[in-house]
Amino acid sequence: MAQHEVEITISKSGEVRVHIKGAKGKSCLAYSKWLTELIGKVKDQQLTSEYYEPEIKARIDLEQDLRMDE
Amino acid sequence: MSAILVLTPVVIGSWPVITAAVAGAAAAMGLVVSESVKETVKESQSNVEQSVEFELSDSKVLAESMATDQEIVLTKGTIELSVKRDERGRCSVCAKGVGHSEAELKQVAEEFTQKLTQCFVYDKVVRELKNKEFQVVNEEVMEDESIRIHVRRWMD
Repeated sequence: MAQHEVEITISKSGEVRVHIKGAKGKSCLAYSKWLTELIGKVKDQQLTSEYYEPEIKARIDLEQDLRMDE
Repeated sequence: MSAILVLTPVVIGSWPVITAAVAGAAAAMGLVVSESVKETVKESQSNVEQSVEFELSDSKVLAESMATDQEIVLTKGTIELSVKRDERGRCSVCAKGVGHSEAELKQVAEEFTQKLTQCFVYDKVVRELKNKEFQVVNEEVMEDESIRIHVRRWMD
C-alpha cells in the first residue's frame, strides 16, 4: 500500500498550487491530468526526482530479484 | 516530492453552481444578497453614480440552467454588485454606487471576482476529493487569505 498525499493551496485570487506527494511515474501523471481537467490551465509544472522513481510494485520486484541473486 | 503544479482556474458551471460560489464569496466579504435594493439604486440614478464592469475572462456559465435576464444583486453599504451571465456566456460582475470613485468600485469588483473564483474552485475541489475518497488531513485559511487543503489516500 502506498500513501498518496495532495496539498492544494487556493490563493486569494483563485490560483491553485498543487503539490502531489508519494505518487510516482504514471500515477503522478494521472493525478496531474485529473487536477488539471478539474481546475483549469497549467501555468507551471515541476517534476521532482520522485516522479522518475519506479512505482512501488516494480521496486519490490527488483528488490526480490536482488535477494535471489545473492 | 513528486510534482508541483500551478494552475489557473477556469470557472465553468451551471447557474446554481455559480450562485453557490457567489453566496460563499458574498458571505466572506460581508455582502448581502438583495434583489429589492436594485430598485432603490435605480431610483437614485439621478445623482452621480459610477459603474464598473468586470468580467471573469476564463469563465463560462452553462446556459441551459438559467434565464437570460437572471442575475444576483449584492449590496454592501451604498455599493451594489450584480453578477450575471453576459451575452458571450461569461460571468460578469458589475459594481456601482453613488458617491464612490471608479477606482474604488473597480477594487471592490476585482476583490469580489477573486473571492468568487476562490469559492468556486474550493467547492469544486472539495467535492471531487470526497468523490475520490481522499481523507482530509488538514484544512486551514492562511494569513494571506489562501486556503490550504491537505488530503491523502492509500493506494494498492
